[in-house]
Amino acid sequence: MRKRNTLVAATTLLTALLLAGCGGSDSGGGGGSGSDAPAAGSGVCGQGGTDGLLKEVCDKGTITVSTDPAYPPQSSLDPKTNTYEGFDIDVATEIAHRLGVDIDWETPNWDVITAGSWNDRWQMSVGSMTPTNARQKVLDFTQPYYYTPAVVVVNSDNTSITDLTTDLDGKKIGVCSGCTYEQFLDKSLEIKGFTFDFVIDDADIHGYDTDTTALQDLALGDGTRLDAVITSLTTAQGYADAGNPVKIVGDPVFYEPLAVAIDKSAELDPAGLVAAVDEIVGEMHDDGTLSELSKKWYDGVDLTVSQQ
Amino acid sequence: MTEAIVRIEGLHKSFGGLEVVRGVDLEVQRGEVVVIFGRSGSGKSTLLRCVNMIEDPTSGTIEVSGVRLSGGHRTRRKRRQIRQLRLKTGMVFQQFNLFPNMTVLDNVMCGPACAGHGRDDAVRERALELLDRVGLADKAGEHPIRLSGGQQQRVAIARALAMQPDVMLFDEPTSSLDPELTGEVLSVMTSLATDLHMTMLVVTHEMGFAREVADRMCFFHEGRILEEGPPEQIVSAPACPETKTFLDAVL
Amino acid sequence: MTAEPQQSRESPLERLALASARIPFRLKVAAVWVVIFVLLALFFLAAGFDRPWIRDNIGYIAGGLRYTITMAIGGIVIAIVLATFGALARLSSNPVAYGVSGFYVSFFRGTPLIVQMYLIYLALPPVGRNLTDKYAWLPEGFESALILDAAVAGTIALGLNYGAYMTEIFRAGIQAVALGQSEAADALGMTHGQKMRKVILPQAFRVIIPPTGNEFIAMMKDTALVSFLGVTIASAEMFRRAQLLGKADFKNLEAYLAVAMLYWGLTAIFSFFQRRLENRLARGYVRTPVKALPVQPHSSGGGLAP
Repeated sequence: MRKRNTLVAATTLLTALLLAGCGGSDSGGGGGSGSDAPAAGSGVCGQGGTDGLLKEVCDKGTITVSTDPAYPPQSSLDPKTNTYEGFDIDVATEIAHRLGVDIDWETPNWDVITAGSWNDRWQMSVGSMTPTNARQKVLDFTQPYYYTPAVVVVNSDNTSITDLTTDLDGKKIGVCSGCTYEQFLDKSLEIKGFTFDFVIDDADIHGYDTDTTALQDLALGDGTRLDAVITSLTTAQGYADAGNPVKIVGDPVFYEPLAVAIDKSAELDPAGLVAAVDEIVGEMHDDGTLSELSKKWYDGVDLTVSQQ
Repeated sequence: MTEAIVRIEGLHKSFGGLEVVRGVDLEVQRGEVVVIFGRSGSGKSTLLRCVNMIEDPTSGTIEVSGVRLSGGHRTRRKRRQIRQLRLKTGMVFQQFNLFPNMTVLDNVMCGPACAGHGRDDAVRERALELLDRVGLADKAGEHPIRLSGGQQQRVAIARALAMQPDVMLFDEPTSSLDPELTGEVLSVMTSLATDLHMTMLVVTHEMGFAREVADRMCFFHEGRILEEGPPEQIVSAPACPETKTFLDAVL
Repeated sequence: MTAEPQQSRESPLERLALASARIPFRLKVAAVWVVIFVLLALFFLAAGFDRPWIRDNIGYIAGGLRYTITMAIGGIVIAIVLATFGALARLSSNPVAYGVSGFYVSFFRGTPLIVQMYLIYLALPPVGRNLTDKYAWLPEGFESALILDAAVAGTIALGLNYGAYMTEIFRAGIQAVALGQSEAADALGMTHGQKMRKVILPQAFRVIIPPTGNEFIAMMKDTALVSFLGVTIASAEMFRRAQLLGKADFKNLEAYLAVAMLYWGLTAIFSFFQRRLENRLARGYVRTPVKALPVQPHSSGGGLAP
């Protein structure tokens, strides 16, 4: 009899554990502000006359967007609401709204997104992606929706790095693997219509899965693991503002355009969707929506106008 | 006219390089009780295990109730024939080999149930009858582990009988039992012979049982049946010196 | 004329040893653990981890427990099914069965689990697409069936991987069932299938359950790898939640520390039940007598059970 009671207790405990996971963890994660369902028949879809991938999206009434929630303030997870929040999140939500569909999220790894061949798991990527020549072979890009400076970050204790053209040569520099910052360091960065001045020679490149991991290694101490990190201004600023012992030095080493990407190898023809989203981005520039969002997320700075 | 239930012809069995059964010819008639005795390791058990093809004969043939087989590769068809042969034999092992995950009743029922011997309740009834015959009807709901060795072996006999075999094969059924427990098993075996006139082929050391119950005794020596005959003859006047030596040592 | 034995003075150390010998071993071990935890706590405090952050967020991270366990259960079920067939195949005389199972075990034990996860998640869809492009006779759903959700792909990979390891466990379990059982079943004229189902496998499972429990406990931790496929928060298990929160607030260290504690606690709980299960099976109410045979106890008719 005692043994049966133990079994009952064990089962109860196990069930309790399973149910403990229940607390508020269920929703599929919506977007940021302004994510009310669009009125039926509104937006681009409401106008009809669509084909290919765009038609499929309109028919389904939902577009699936990929995001990598590892990059505040572009995209990160808010545990209290169990949703994603950030600049990219808001931009994507607005695009979906103007298309006239709901939005759904997928969170694959960054290198899976940039490689193309999404197998229609998601239709669009609003992830601050730079349209490099290599990526343009597998992905279609809209016009840029904002531009971000790439800056050099050093540990707060550092005093030796001031002239970016010489002081960084041969140093241990951390970057996110597969990002444009890494391509900048190995001088392979190519974007049609843009030129870059590769001022850093012979960098000792340390690749990380994300920028913030690189920044954390930098914060350990000047030269402990890294001498510097190259990342976007927004990420660096966010990290420094959070109270970590890093600082930005010098002018941005380059500016990069960031655009919305759609898989070239989608089952249905993506051309219509690309054109529609491109037009929406243009509208969002013109009517100031993008500027507003930028100022909201980037401390009042409007990054949506080209600085070059 | 009695017919041969079991016919063993020219049986040889080797394990690798070691020949354990070196040419055995033996017939068991319906209703006969044949006891095979001899030194340990002489190959008696192997001979018996060839009869229901648990050991695969190297050469020679086995025939049980008209199903005739020899050794060699087992095709699907041959496996079916072996099954047919086994359904006509019932085997009782030295180690009992009752299924510990089932109750005693389930043990006795599982053979007929698997062979499709009619409806469940008929099978159950017969199983209870058999358990009663071996004196263990009250243990039907127990698991084998709760039974003594003698009780387990009696259940094993009931299990084999449930298949309604033409011949019962006993492989040293009492060798694993304490002396005081062998009696109950031997008395069941005796009643099988006297009450049911069951055809039995028994490998054993129990000379008392052999003398009482056997119709024929075979002395197995170094892979061959050296001599055979009715118990009175074998025990009191063995023809071969080896037989005499063995009997002197045992009796 | 015997000399008085010298009364040697016990050194303080000896007195201490004698006194401590009276304290039960378990108590001393518990004391050691307490000391270790105190040291860890001091280290924790000294290193200045952000304790409030952990306090605020551990609830959310723990919320992933449901998915961790679900994936582990899904994986172990798949693994058990595969291991059963695999073990039977490893013991079979059928060259196809033996060969296929040998290949399966070799591949899934020979490659890292994370690689297997990526293969199923990333490699299958293009295979599906290419095949459907080439062979028009393939059914409609074939291609989309191969495009798996990250959590599903991860669970399948877990099942395949652990199934390979467990094949060996199951095989040993089946072989542990005494030969006599198989012979008795044969003598009754059972087919191979009947023998396995009614006699061998039920007995084998008794031997197999304890190591399977251990595999389950290990699998619960391997579910963390699924995060690297990019699982969405709809099915984010504990590690994924820790990962995302850590990155959101730049608190990777605190996040991973918190989730390590959770895994440790989870493992401890399951290990406790696992041990009880093992004890229960070992001194079992229904103990397999094959282990006690062939020597009969010298009590008359007392049986083997207590």
